Amino acid sequence: MEQIKSRKLTAIENTEAALARIKNLNPKINAFIELNEKGALDTAKWIDEKIKQGKKVGKLAGLIVAVKSNINVTGLHITCASKTLEDYVGTFDAAVVQRIKSEDGIIIGMTNMDEFAAGSSGETSAWGPTDNPSALGHIPGGSSSGSAAAVAVGICDLAIGSDTGGSIRNPASHCGIVGLKPTYGLVPRHGLIDLAMSLDQIGPMARDVYGCALLLEVIAGYNPRECTTLKVDLKDFTKKVGADIKGLKIGIAPQYEEVTVDKKIYQKIERAIEILKDLGARVVQVNLPNLKRALPAYYLINYVEFFSATRRFDGRRYGKRIEDVCGEEVLRRILLGSYISQKEYRGKYYHKAIKTRSVIKHETLEAFKQADVLISPTVPKLPHKFGAKLTPFEMYGYDLFTVPTNLSGICAGVVPVGKIDGIPIGLQIQGKPLDELTIFKIMEAYEKSTRELS
Amino acid sequence: MEVLIGLEIHEQINTKSKLYCDCPTNYRDVSPNTNVCEICTGCPGAKPMPPNQDALDAVIAISLMLDCEVLTNRPVYIQRKHYDYPDLPSGYQRTSLPIGINGKVNGTRIREVHMEEDPGQYDPVSGIVDYNRSGVPLVEITTEPDLRSPEEARLFLRALYRILDFSGKAREEPGTLRVDANISMAGGARVEIKNINSVKGVYRALKYEITRQKSLLTRGEAVRRETRAYLESQMITVPMRTKELEADYRYIPDPDIFPLVIDSNKVEAIKASLPEAPHMREKRLIQQYGIAPLHAKVLTSELALADLFEAVAKKIDPKIAALWLRDKLKNVLNYYGIRCAESLLIPEHMIELLKLVQSGSITPETGEKLLQRMVKEPVSPLKLVEELKLTKIVEEKLLEEAITKAIAQNPQAVKDYLSGKSEALNFLMGRVMKITQSRADSKVVIQLLKQKLKR
Repeated sequence: MEQIKSRKLTAIENTEAALARIKNLNPKINAFIELNEKGALDTAKWIDEKIKQGKKVGKLAGLIVAVKSNINVTGLHITCASKTLEDYVGTFDAAVVQRIKSEDGIIIGMTNMDEFAAGSSGETSAWGPTDNPSALGHIPGGSSSGSAAAVAVGICDLAIGSDTGGSIRNPASHCGIVGLKPTYGLVPRHGLIDLAMSLDQIGPMARDVYGCALLLEVIAGYNPRECTTLKVDLKDFTKKVGADIKGLKIGIAPQYEEVTVDKKIYQKIERAIEILKDLGARVVQVNLPNLKRALPAYYLINYVEFFSATRRFDGRRYGKRIEDVCGEEVLRRILLGSYISQKEYRGKYYHKAIKTRSVIKHETLEAFKQADVLISPTVPKLPHKFGAKLTPFEMYGYDLFTVPTNLSGICAGVVPVGKIDGIPIGLQIQGKPLDELTIFKIMEAYEKSTRELS
Repeated sequence: MEVLIGLEIHEQINTKSKLYCDCPTNYRDVSPNTNVCEICTGCPGAKPMPPNQDALDAVIAISLMLDCEVLTNRPVYIQRKHYDYPDLPSGYQRTSLPIGINGKVNGTRIREVHMEEDPGQYDPVSGIVDYNRSGVPLVEITTEPDLRSPEEARLFLRALYRILDFSGKAREEPGTLRVDANISMAGGARVEIKNINSVKGVYRALKYEITRQKSLLTRGEAVRRETRAYLESQMITVPMRTKELEADYRYIPDPDIFPLVIDSNKVEAIKASLPEAPHMREKRLIQQYGIAPLHAKVLTSELALADLFEAVAKKIDPKIAALWLRDKLKNVLNYYGIRCAESLLIPEHMIELLKLVQSGSITPETGEKLLQRMVKEPVSPLKLVEELKLTKIVEEKLLEEAITKAIAQNPQAVKDYLSGKSEALNFLMGRVMKITQSRADSKVVIQLLKQKLKR
């Protein structure tokens, strides 16, 4: 971006280069399912004009931003990677898109994803799977698969994803990039097509911590036009990252190692913790006995809210009835959600799940009385290869570490900490509500120390 | 046979904007699908705005006027009620849990008062949905099954509507009323009747339903639990598609809206500024103006009429004002089939008119005729009188001419009168009034007629 502001690189040049890279690489990766070629070039021209005239430009001036296909952008196809919405064109800009545009970000296109964000592998898109550019032949993770892959392969500068139970962090980990799931209510959801409304959050994805912090700075903040954003003013992440992390308390629960399927992953995490200790952080033990109860509660809530959210796709307004055209996983969730919410009349499931969620939230917040952050793997196992058949429960298993963050309404970041057999591994750092800054500080410190090493 | 009737009443609240977005609510004044945005059309990803505070305040005020307890300082969830119908853009309707409970109107217990959003309007013939109405705030009022007959239901609804009218919060437009009625008779199951759009409709639907259920029961057949639709045109009820049971609505708290928490101080403030209840106003009018109880009852049948009366009574003898509004104005309104609120009559014109009558410039009959125009257009009666030359005839010569004419044209009536049928005199007077365009003083005419026919 400095290059653009100092006119070493024009926004047009950056956009044209990105488009060229996309045309070359996207057929192999399948990260984008719609391009905004003309819109992006027009915006770039306008930004260059502003710079030439010496006018003030926004924080993202000239940067190429990819948007997940479940976030509304006027005039582009917002398909959720589903046949259900293949003809739906956005009629309004999501609140985050408005903010990106007003800071002069260039929206290059809509990324691939698991259908309706209901997946953890990136395989369930109606437009076909996205490949993992960092470990070809392996799943990129999901559901923000296209956004993660596009960032990883360098065909955009920044990307927007959404995270309901790990959909930013899981692909960030598998693809070896930085991603963050903000505190529930920090980033406006207006314009984000629902998966589970009480858990959904939009968040940033980038190649480095600075980019991630910059994008969050742009999209975060109170939106008076919706009900569930928080009235907080957290606007200067980029200025504050970089401070040292001496004395920060890192919480580790014994349950984390127990449930990690691939023990090699945990070894990587332990090495990362050693590095953080060297940087001045202290390790404290916390206890999370209900960790295993998170997944069942999460999926129950997810089914019920998703069922409710999909009632509008009845075939009358968007052409196709969702049940007639959707994939297996989406249909499974709708049918289960319908069944559960009907039985719910007698207060059976959903309210119990909400109670379990309170237990987990309480347990997590208790842990934060001892620790500033909680550190764990992002996923308990390495990504599978395309073609492997997983049962739904094996698939859900990917979300074990990420789901409690959403259930607790807190924030979590993922930063790459090395590779196993060429497959990237991400460290997950969960923070207190609205304490994104501490996460950024730790990620930045880690990133800097490993950059110096290499 | 004992009959139990409970009602569920929906009425629009007259806020400027919709419940969860900024769109205006004047859906009748604009062409279809113009008062719409991504929120009230349920576009994918659109999130509701915080609930319209004016609508919530109105629901609280209405709850208080229905003698309800308002649930304060605790979460009141907005629920999603799912059902599949073309007028519902998101596939669910947002409806609050009770805001007011345990009220009473005329001895009928009010169970709950809720806040809801209206769906759009679907025309099954053209297949077109107009979303202008989608998201307009509604108050939903449910009663306990305390009503025992269609007549009781009618009286209750009139009383309820009077309160809603006096609250100043309900939409003053015809056709906004929607009632569902639950009815059960000893030995039969509960039947719900939907789609009733008027007080008269409720009365007729219940009458029909009682007859239908009675004849089933006396034949020894079962009355099934079902939902029926009222067909206004035929005045009958017919079975509807199998109604969803409550469980089929799959109620869940709306995850996009934090629950409402109503502050008790706020309720106190609303209570303090509540408009006068109609029965209180009725009492006050009797005491303050010394008018007859019967007049006060009619004058408080509608807020606009009561307001008009009090404005006029500032300048005109209240008893005369009451008489004119109750009789003459009511007659005219009934003739046109409109409510006072829909008329274009303003207090200044009514005062002017009554002054003209009181000073003897025009006859009461002329006054009544002018009133017919004044409710339809905001015209000054003074101007009308001048323009149309409607002042009372005082010249005896003109009266004499008219009387002579009437006598000459109606020999049979004259004969009847002279043979002792005194009613014939009224007939002749009527003819004179017709000839003089009501500009003659009827008392004078009677006197003159009597004199003339004696000779």
